[in-house]
Amino acid sequence: MKRLNIALFGVLVLLAINTASAGDPAAGKEKSATCAACHGADGNAPTPAFPSLAGQYADYLLQALKEYKSGKRNNPIMAGQVAALTDVDMENLAAYFAEQKGLIAIDIE
Amino acid sequence: MNHQLTALLCGTVLAVGFSTSAMAAGDAEKGSSLAATCMGCHGIPSYTNVYPTYHVPKVGGQHADYIAAALKAYQSGERKHPTMQAQAASLSDQDMADIGAYFASFKAK
Repeated sequence: MKRLNIALFGVLVLLAINTASAGDPAAGKEKSATCAACHGADGNAPTPAFPSLAGQYADYLLQALKEYKSGKRNNPIMAGQVAALTDVDMENLAAYFAEQKGLIAIDIE
Repeated sequence: MNHQLTALLCGTVLAVGFSTSAMAAGDAEKGSSLAATCMGCHGIPSYTNVYPTYHVPKVGGQHADYIAAALKAYQSGERKHPTMQAQAASLSDQDMADIGAYFASFKAK
């Protein structure tokens, strides 16, 4: 019984860690209204100059947002957009767009 | 003065129009052979970048114009990523448009 408890506790901790880094898509959707103007409401960008985000890997989207914020990636429009976002906001946005249908992982196999 | 300004604006609009149409004229078939190198990373689902670790972005179904613009930014050094800068270094504008057209040709099922 004690062993089972320890095992269960371990599972819960792992779940908590996973959830914490995964971002909350519902919260991301709420924050995504500003993004929609260029990237489309579901991340399928209606204008070819702007990238589609729908279905993109969440960790890539998060990396891009962080690079816009740090200035490593330099884009005046995006710099303005990310300025007010917290790390959690960025995780949530990434989770939301990653969940949408759009981009395809090319598989040459 | 007004005429001059109008003429300048017209010229700018025309120039933008021409450059956009030049970028749009990518040949997906040529792009397919040019993109062979890309597939080492972008053709393997869930392949990851290292230091920092994040998924190599999905490019299937992405807008051709955006792909070409991203490659151009890597080539000029405006966008920084050692591997991508090296990849883009030897590409012509036409190559970039072709690669963009090829990636854009992937459609969601």
